[in-house]
Amino acid sequence: MVNDKKPLLKIEGLKTYFFTENGVVKAVDGVDFEVYKRETLGLVGESGCGKSVTAFSIMRLLDYPGKTIGGKILFKDENLLKKNNEEMRKIRGKEIAMIFQEPMTALNPVLTIGYQISEALMMHFDISKEEAMRRSVKLLKKVSMPIPEQRVNEYPHQLSGGMRQRAMISMAMACDPALLIADEPTTSLDVTIQAQILDLMKSLLQEFNASLIMITHDLSVIAEIADKVAVMYAGKIVEYTDKKTIFHTPLHPYTFGLLTSIPRLDVEMKKLNAISGTVPDPLKFPEGCKFNPRCKFATDKCRKKEPLLIKIEEGHMVRCWHIDKVKKEMRKGFLVGV
Amino acid sequence: MNRTLRKLFSNATSLLGIILLVFFIIIAIFAPVLAPPLSDDPYQIPRMSWDVNPQPPGFPMSDNIKDMYKYIGKEVKYDKAICGTAQGGYDIFYGLIWGTRTAFKIGITTVFSAMLIGLFIGSIAAYFGRWVDEVLMRITDIFLSFPFLVAAMVLTTILGRGLNKVMIALIAFGWMGYARVIRGSILSAKEETYVMAAKALGVRDGKIIWRHLLPNTIFPVLIQASMNIGTMVVTAATLSFLGVGAPLGYADWGQMVSFARNWIVGAPGHAGQYWYSVFYPGIFIILFVLAWNLIGDALRDILDPRLRGEL
Repeated sequence: MVNDKKPLLKIEGLKTYFFTENGVVKAVDGVDFEVYKRETLGLVGESGCGKSVTAFSIMRLLDYPGKTIGGKILFKDENLLKKNNEEMRKIRGKEIAMIFQEPMTALNPVLTIGYQISEALMMHFDISKEEAMRRSVKLLKKVSMPIPEQRVNEYPHQLSGGMRQRAMISMAMACDPALLIADEPTTSLDVTIQAQILDLMKSLLQEFNASLIMITHDLSVIAEIADKVAVMYAGKIVEYTDKKTIFHTPLHPYTFGLLTSIPRLDVEMKKLNAISGTVPDPLKFPEGCKFNPRCKFATDKCRKKEPLLIKIEEGHMVRCWHIDKVKKEMRKGFLVGV
Repeated sequence: MNRTLRKLFSNATSLLGIILLVFFIIIAIFAPVLAPPLSDDPYQIPRMSWDVNPQPPGFPMSDNIKDMYKYIGKEVKYDKAICGTAQGGYDIFYGLIWGTRTAFKIGITTVFSAMLIGLFIGSIAAYFGRWVDEVLMRITDIFLSFPFLVAAMVLTTILGRGLNKVMIALIAFGWMGYARVIRGSILSAKEETYVMAAKALGVRDGKIIWRHLLPNTIFPVLIQASMNIGTMVVTAATLSFLGVGAPLGYADWGQMVSFARNWIVGAPGHAGQYWYSVFYPGIFIILFVLAWNLIGDALRDILDPRLRGEL
């Protein structure tokens, strides 16, 4: 999928810090990635690694005490960080739209589904209420909402979880955005609905020619939908490559750990693997490589100096001092079938 | 909404409040029929005599006043004072009927305006937060630091006599409660994901406050407003009683109580001789305030989710 076209979204050295009373939390600390047209980037990581903050930084939706203090967010060659509030408002929903994790709380309980979709339409297009409602019904049809003519006049509590997420997606797609950011859109749904929603998103992306940033902690979602994957840990990208490579030849110990923690049916396992330790306290990240306290390959070098994100081969970047050791370990019979 | 109405009607106290309110609404609507105005300004209470003393119910209209109305071509519907006359011969019955309109006017206008101001300031403070919040809420605190009655009295005195001035004073010192309540509600509601979702769709801030936040947060304010209508009417009556309210002869319950001030005790040896001069306007004020408070209480019980099911 890598091509020499210009990227739709290019993020360079993005830094978003939270200035709390207890100190500065470096939630996103120098993140770079690119999203090309019609491409899906998966942003993977544990809770609190900064993946949602990255998304909100792109949308510029962070409130005090969160602040983006450095970097560039180039969308269609324009730096979003330089836009004023009104320009930014016009981009939100129209150019970049977002799908939230909890469709129950992301829909306003006192407004009908139809109103909420047509509101998005009327904000960005000069159309009448009736026209907006007509388009809302069409959009609901597109996301395979059963009986859309009736659903537009219903309230969120009258819909099931899956239907609510469909409504959310139709709101996000309403103004035909070029980039969609989905923040764990399937986490609160059960597995069968998850698959349906992912299929729906895939077909919509194709139909609307849109790109997607899929934020998730669920590697199976990545396997389903992503083209490229960025693995985040403690506010930084630790591995950045395409989907195939991440599942077959991961090179960062953290990615490696994530993959070995997936329960498998095809291999005899006595105990489920887990990455030892916990996510570091964002107020006091360890010195050197931030993963070193939990890493079985860690040496003194890791504890002193933080590695850079190095290009190992075309389209594969890793932030680690001991790639060779990881490679060796991998040959000992680790492979995940995708 | 249906559930709310059903509960309002099935509860004895709120039903009483509703019946009282309907009673007052009917009086206010049919005021021109119940007590046809005798001068150009219908709020001017006609005089039955030129006596200083109040006169008991059933007191006939003096002949020269009757002749005067005949001369200017006004038909006198009642030539007797049904509820007696107040000091100076003012017809109490007429004052009660038209005073109902005054009460509604004062109560609804002041509460509605104060609520709008409060909603505006409180929601903006809460939504934008930080220094906007700080500045607006400190201003609110300054207004709150004045005792309500004293502040309203002083402002009315400065502005001059008249019902409109009273209302301005009541609005100027009556909005802070609403601002605080709505601020609290919006502070918690704005953290909801749907607000973020609306922002992410490019919805304007004003529209987010108006269409997304207020419908979710306005109920406590409405309850407070319905309970405050009574308070506002009592305060306006107090100001009239103290002599800074409605102009002389204006159909206003407060003023009628103020007319009774010198006659409450009665003449020596005849305690309570002039009971009608304080009883009628007093009972109207009490019932009017009671009506709103009963409804407000019932609304709070019904709409407060913490009390739900206990009614």
